[in-house]
Amino acid sequence: MKGTWADRLLLLLVLAGIGISWQFVHVLAGKGEAMVTIYHGQTQLAQYPLHAHKPVHFMAKGALGDSEIVIDHNSVYFLESPCRNKLCILAGHKHEIGDIIACVPNRILVAISGAAKRFDAVVE
Amino acid sequence: MQVKALEMIRPSLEELQHKAQWMSLLMLAVSMHVLEAGLPGLGPWLKPGLANVITLITLVLLGPRAALALAIARVFTGSMLIGTMLTPTFVMSLSGAMAATLTMLAAWRWLPGISLIGISLLGAIAHMLAQFVVVESLFIQQSAIYYLLPPFLLISCATGWINGAIATYITPRLFHRIHE
Repeated sequence: MKGTWADRLLLLLVLAGIGISWQFVHVLAGKGEAMVTIYHGQTQLAQYPLHAHKPVHFMAKGALGDSEIVIDHNSVYFLESPCRNKLCILAGHKHEIGDIIACVPNRILVAISGAAKRFDAVVE
Repeated sequence: MQVKALEMIRPSLEELQHKAQWMSLLMLAVSMHVLEAGLPGLGPWLKPGLANVITLITLVLLGPRAALALAIARVFTGSMLIGTMLTPTFVMSLSGAMAATLTMLAAWRWLPGISLIGISLLGAIAHMLAQFVVVESLFIQQSAIYYLLPPFLLISCATGWINGAIATYITPRLFHRIHE
């Protein structure tokens, strides 16, 4: 269960790599006002502020059909999806910068990122 | 003449035993694959990777070629049974299984001092990385998908370590039974 010294060294290296990548992702996601961006493949379908005054219901046209995405109460979630397993709906509500929901069968991605560009965030 | 020809094409007992062992392990791996697909809430992204334990056991008991064949056969058979053949889930499973098995084969052969736990850890990491690369390049096509990678890799570390420990426990007992 404990593994050899080589196993533990390997675990240490892997954990260090994960820590560095976590920091990198944090910088990449940006800072400032949280924005919800909806993509289908390489195409950006829409972008809304996460903290909108009115609820937003967006129908994203994907590979299988329309996914209904809702932005409400400072969170974003999938309400309906034509995919089989509905994992995107089960992913629940996301409300922080760096959070994403992906519907792989329908090729829809919802990402929350900072309005400030990543290089601005680095300079800050 | 006919008897001699039959003897030439008839596989040896050792070869038949090897095939029977491989088939038994394949059935076990397929069962794990189907069981994992039915687990609630985890989905195609996050699985305990129990089928990988069987690949690891096959690697030790029957060798690298048998392990690679088992990983591929397991994904094809399992996907046919759960109805995900040629879907994104199938592509993700196949790429993950191939990457994990090839990484484990390389680690088993070339990394000194490493046990089944370390090999399993590397396999789990390779599995997750391959799935992300495939999803990003074939389906989602947005680099934002990598936001999810660090937490998922952390979970892979834990499952890889546990699966390696399970394989370490099972393998010598199974080896003893087979060669008794």
